[in-house]
Amino acid sequence: MKVIELKNVSFKYDEEYVVKNVSFSIEKGSYTTIIGHNGSGKSTIAKLIMGLLEKEKGQIFVDGLELNLENLYKIREKIGIVFQNPDNQFIGSTVRDDIAFGLENHCIPHEQMDPLILKFAEKVGMLNYLDSEPTKLSGGQKQRVAIAGVLAMYFNVIIFDEATSMLDPQGKKEINELIEEIHREKNITIVSITHDIEEAVKSDYVIVMDKGKVAMEGKPEEILLREKELIQMQLDIPFTLKFKNELKKQGVNVETNLKMEGMVDALCQLNLNK
Amino acid sequence: MPIEFKQVSHEYSPNTPFAYKALNEIDLELAEGKITAIVGATGSGKTTIVQHLNALLLPTQGEIVVVDKTIKSTEKPKNLKALRKQVGLVFQFPEYQLFEETILKDVAFGPKNFGVSEEDAQEKAKEALKMVGLDETFYERSPLDLSGGQKRRVAIAGILAMDPQVLVLDEPTAGLDPQGAKQMMGLFEMLNKKHGKTILVVTHDMEHVLDYCDEVVVVERGKIAMHVSKEEFFEDASLMVKANINPPAIIRMRTMLQEKGFAIPNTVLSLEALVKALKKGVA
Amino acid sequence: MKNIVLGRYIPLDSVIHKMDPRAKIIAMITLLVAIFIDTGYIGYGIIAAFILCAVFLAKLKLDFVWKALKPMLFMLCFLLVINVLVLKTGYVLVDIFGFKIYSDAIFQTLYIVIRLVLMIIITTLLTASTKPMDLTIAIEDLLSPFKVIGVPAHDIAMMISIALRFIPTLLEESQRIMKAQESRGVDLQEGSFKEKVMAILSLIVPLFVSSFQRADDLANAMEARGYNPGGKRVRYKQLKFVLRDYIMLLCVFGLVAGLIATKVTGIL
Repeated sequence: MKVIELKNVSFKYDEEYVVKNVSFSIEKGSYTTIIGHNGSGKSTIAKLIMGLLEKEKGQIFVDGLELNLENLYKIREKIGIVFQNPDNQFIGSTVRDDIAFGLENHCIPHEQMDPLILKFAEKVGMLNYLDSEPTKLSGGQKQRVAIAGVLAMYFNVIIFDEATSMLDPQGKKEINELIEEIHREKNITIVSITHDIEEAVKSDYVIVMDKGKVAMEGKPEEILLREKELIQMQLDIPFTLKFKNELKKQGVNVETNLKMEGMVDALCQLNLNK
Repeated sequence: MPIEFKQVSHEYSPNTPFAYKALNEIDLELAEGKITAIVGATGSGKTTIVQHLNALLLPTQGEIVVVDKTIKSTEKPKNLKALRKQVGLVFQFPEYQLFEETILKDVAFGPKNFGVSEEDAQEKAKEALKMVGLDETFYERSPLDLSGGQKRRVAIAGILAMDPQVLVLDEPTAGLDPQGAKQMMGLFEMLNKKHGKTILVVTHDMEHVLDYCDEVVVVERGKIAMHVSKEEFFEDASLMVKANINPPAIIRMRTMLQEKGFAIPNTVLSLEALVKALKKGVA
Repeated sequence: MKNIVLGRYIPLDSVIHKMDPRAKIIAMITLLVAIFIDTGYIGYGIIAAFILCAVFLAKLKLDFVWKALKPMLFMLCFLLVINVLVLKTGYVLVDIFGFKIYSDAIFQTLYIVIRLVLMIIITTLLTASTKPMDLTIAIEDLLSPFKVIGVPAHDIAMMISIALRFIPTLLEESQRIMKAQESRGVDLQEGSFKEKVMAILSLIVPLFVSSFQRADDLANAMEARGYNPGGKRVRYKQLKFVLRDYIMLLCVFGLVAGLIATKVTGIL
């Protein structure tokens, strides 16, 4: 089942198309990554889906509902988004207030707010910081709070718009683990907009954006091995592919596997056969 | 020896309830003409170290020798400007320091502050812009309508125009896409090799450390935990684990293969060497 | 920054701190009105005693109150000088080589000083015992009856709370920009007028650029999380009047009513 569907969507900024005639769909319950270099239009897509930017042409459907002025707030009850900059999306004066912000807007009954706040603060490991102010928190902690705020709304789709790109490796790792956990446990559809090719390796479906268009889409093993195209679009290629190329150059032939563990296994196999 | 820390401590808001010791009696010598990476967790004191290099922060104890000047805890250095001219410090997200109407004017701002004449400053600005790969078509454009990576280049040119001997960069690739980050690191490599600049770069990205740096300084809770050559650093994966650092992909691959019984020496740092060692093992 | 006392919240555990911020605002306004009404020295004495009790209950140190008053000292001295020079009524108190200081000059100054000091202590008491965010909510609640005549109570409160939330962030940011420009040779202390103008521009322009960026991001984040300026919301922080709030208000109203009554009947 399709949970997000874009049909011929275009968006213009200053007479220039940032997104041009984009069509794709995202399966319910999937972990989809959208990759592309800075300025490829990938973040604009997220804002279009949330109705934060007004598309020039085309149609966007979320959970079967078409995005238009009338349905705007209904659609925002279905999708949550976590943005890139941890500071600029922390609205409340404390962790508690920030998780509450979305609940307030969606008119959740007051007596249900505290239990929800506690439950999801615990889920993201921020229970001990409920009354902390944002200046006392690290970037990773602020992103956790943003995730708690989104989870508390029981959205079935969450978009992560480069949510880890401003974090240190520790924060990045923790947030990525949290995202995977949410995906696994709650069967929430994850759409991750990212630069990280290794994250794309782990996802179910990859959409590659270039110059405002969908350049390629498909399963990671189909897309991420297309070395020439990836390099042409100023993207990284997976480490395992680089490794395989070097092996081939030196006359060792193994089947490509996107995961490191797979490569190691293939090499062990080769060793046994000799 | 251009930079030397001698028993340097730094305490923020001393004598208040908020007092916090960010650096604790560190000794550090940084070699001339090299690219040194400063790594460590957030809050370990990396940025504090960096801000001592041009006396934005003064040590609360100890002294620092930078090229031919000494920064002491007791006195404010008199030749502050001369010092800041020698050590160019590029902050995190430097694109937020651009403010002039045109790119050329913005880049010339630094040298003008150091008393260079208008024309000479323009000359220096043009040279610096050329170094970072921006041609004359950029001179009269506003710095505000460039892409993120270009803005950052302009900001770095603004520091280069002051012609510093030492270039210090605090997380210069944060927020750039992988391609942009690589180009940025390539730029520093070129400045080091071709223009002989000593480069200090604070980074979290171990792939960059492996590909571009000569030496590694690990900062841990206000102390220098390690100061070794890149080769030594990546030879022993346990060193990285100890410092809570995620090793680069190639080192992870090397470790995984070693665990499966492949005889791969720890000196392997490149894919080419890795495959060569593998072939030896297979044959 | 850390030495500024006026308007600063002091986290303590006291009855006054726990009180409903709306009750505190109403009490403050009532007391300010009482001070504006000329109740004479005895009246001010009673009010002062009442406020000092409140300061004591709030567990605030007198030292802190003194720090809040300090910035006013200069203004009060200035006032005294003006009054001494201008006011020539009443009887002569001191005569220094023909320069006469009249009684009214001293007494009127004293009178103004007492009123100003009382007002400052009252407002300091409010801000020191109430979190800024709670004050914001109280203002929203107290303004909500005026929605009928078009006062955007919620919008005002939201604006204040966002400003409060971002003050520390912007301070941090401005320090960072300042350091970055210092590294480019900007000297904020010395230099010619033109250099100083450039130095200030080099701080202000980047600060504006980044603030606009932040504002844009923030607006997106708020909208994405379902914020609709005109729409219905259920507020998380709900204020509740409890017995102690009624008692406190009753005391304040009683006191002020008593003072006004004595004033009208001319007893004091």
